[in-house]
Amino acid sequence: MIRVWTGIALAAAAVSLSGCGGKAAAAKPGTPAAHCSAAARASWQRLANRIHAPVYCPGWLPDPLTGVIGSRDNNIHSVSSDRSYLESWIWQETGAGAAGGELHVNLRGYPGRTTVPRCRDADNNQPIPCFADPRGTKRFGSIVTTLYTVNQDADQWHVAYGWRYHGSFFTLSEHVAPPLTYAKVVQYLDREMRSLELIAPR
Amino acid sequence: MKLTRRQALAGAAAGALGATGVYELVDRLAGSSPKRVAAGALPPEQHVLDGLRVITDNGVEVTLPPLHHQVVTAHVAVDRADLRDAQRALEAALAKLDATYVPTPIGLGVTVAWGLPYFERFVPAQWRGHAPFDRRARKPALLPTRAFPSDPAGTSLERNDVAILLRSDSIAHIADGAKVIDGVGVFRVTSIRKGFVGGGLPKKMAQAAGIPGADLIPDGAELFLGFTSTQSQGLGPRKIVNLETLGYAELGPASYFREGTHMHVSHVSEDLEAWYLNFDFQQRIDTAFRPHLRVPAGTQTVRQSPADVANAASVARDFRTARTIGHSTAIQTSSRLQADHVAEDGTVYRKGTAIPHRADFNTLDNPFFWPDDPAAAPQAGVHFVVFNPTSDDFHRNRLAMDGVLPDGTRLPFQPRQRGQGFNDVLRTTHRQNFLVPPRRHRAFPLAEL
Repeated sequence: MIRVWTGIALAAAAVSLSGCGGKAAAAKPGTPAAHCSAAARASWQRLANRIHAPVYCPGWLPDPLTGVIGSRDNNIHSVSSDRSYLESWIWQETGAGAAGGELHVNLRGYPGRTTVPRCRDADNNQPIPCFADPRGTKRFGSIVTTLYTVNQDADQWHVAYGWRYHGSFFTLSEHVAPPLTYAKVVQYLDREMRSLELIAPR
Repeated sequence: MKLTRRQALAGAAAGALGATGVYELVDRLAGSSPKRVAAGALPPEQHVLDGLRVITDNGVEVTLPPLHHQVVTAHVAVDRADLRDAQRALEAALAKLDATYVPTPIGLGVTVAWGLPYFERFVPAQWRGHAPFDRRARKPALLPTRAFPSDPAGTSLERNDVAILLRSDSIAHIADGAKVIDGVGVFRVTSIRKGFVGGGLPKKMAQAAGIPGADLIPDGAELFLGFTSTQSQGLGPRKIVNLETLGYAELGPASYFREGTHMHVSHVSEDLEAWYLNFDFQQRIDTAFRPHLRVPAGTQTVRQSPADVANAASVARDFRTARTIGHSTAIQTSSRLQADHVAEDGTVYRKGTAIPHRADFNTLDNPFFWPDDPAAAPQAGVHFVVFNPTSDDFHRNRLAMDGVLPDGTRLPFQPRQRGQGFNDVLRTTHRQNFLVPPRRHRAFPLAEL
């Protein structure tokens, strides 16, 4: 099996990352939670205002991902008619072994629904949960998350945290791909969760 | 004195035979060995290992294999003229092990199996006269090793002369057994393959070795892929894989290989992240067992009784509706008796009875313990060791796993397509077929003729 995303993610990544270089720096897990930067907060505020629902701004993503909507690494900025959204940041470096790698983080929100959304099984077109195989819960401040390990579409081959807030469902996921292992991705997700800031619509 | 490359390699292999490496952790992580039942005298079959304990898990009887396993492959290192001496020396060493250790997991199980290259190069005339013939397949019972549709292009089809399987709850017994056999000086070791079996060990060992995806393995799982494979009803009865039992093989005028069997050895690497991040629990059940099979979440041991056995028609039907086949059910189309069978000793084997004796074990070798590639990190995998009555019988099982069913049905899979489940995350690196003589002929078979 080759590690791929669905077409939309792959195509968007190809467009947004052409010419992108630079190595990702490994951040130390467990360091104090960073805060949402001014640029990121402004971009997330615009999203919250647009969908009339609260959103979560990431204060920390693994370098070089910025968490700023509209930045060069924000390869997917998608808002659907039901106000659900997908914001995605990606970094890729081609090359063998340590010379290559990828970082890919998705943040989603589903305003007005608390159930896990449904996706289509690519093999038989049957409806399946977009986030499945829950493996326990974890608390980050006031947020109680469920860890999902089998996810679909742009979150395929990602590990995801999902949680509910004020009648909505939110997810934060990260791709398990070199240079990251499953264990490292969970460490990163924990740090990302601790850095989330709730942005209310104005 | 300057060593030749062959001498240097031999020295390194001798050291590796007794080394334990990461497998030293098995004893520490497993705690005490499972309690074993007593066993009787040495059976005439080399492949039969008595003294295995049976427990009940999820209402299913599960056989507990030995904790430690090792396979040593080798080429014969003596000339044809010296074969009789080599035979006597090897038999003496094996007899010494028999006298030292009871032939159960408490002691040491030793199985010496011989590859086609040995028979064809060292005893060709005798082989022509005594080679068992598979009358069902209309082919020799020991066939050249072949590749299968889902094998990667680079799978190595090996040509070792001999493979020695060592099984015990004691890693020290295995090390001693390997050293005693190596000390005879009649083999040039080509590989050493080590591993372990035991509930909970795969996760603990994978975590200790830093295997990607180790944290995803369910606690208590017997295999890296999270399910139990040693359900007692999924393993063949004691003598069913003997060449003579099911009547598949013609044994020739002297029945030289009566109470012998066939052994296939392969190394298969497993991508744990691919398995656990792309298949949810129900999909893992679907592809490991049968599409739409409902079991409680987290179940590791799934009943595999004769009443649960699938046939080619049901597997094809599942494929039409789910685009998926279950690993177990697909193989059952050839690995289970399709009708009652009465053996020549009067034993009745009922329809649905499992045929193969599995002796596979988890490994962190990549691909082998020795020779090792210093640049290769430990890897989750399985050294797949299985006894079937003949090569063809194993080939039928393995083809069924790829959707090529014994009734001629070929399910239209692409190699390693997701609907094949296990095959999607498995990569076979090496394969070889061997013939296991009866215990009385285990040392250089046919050399005395």
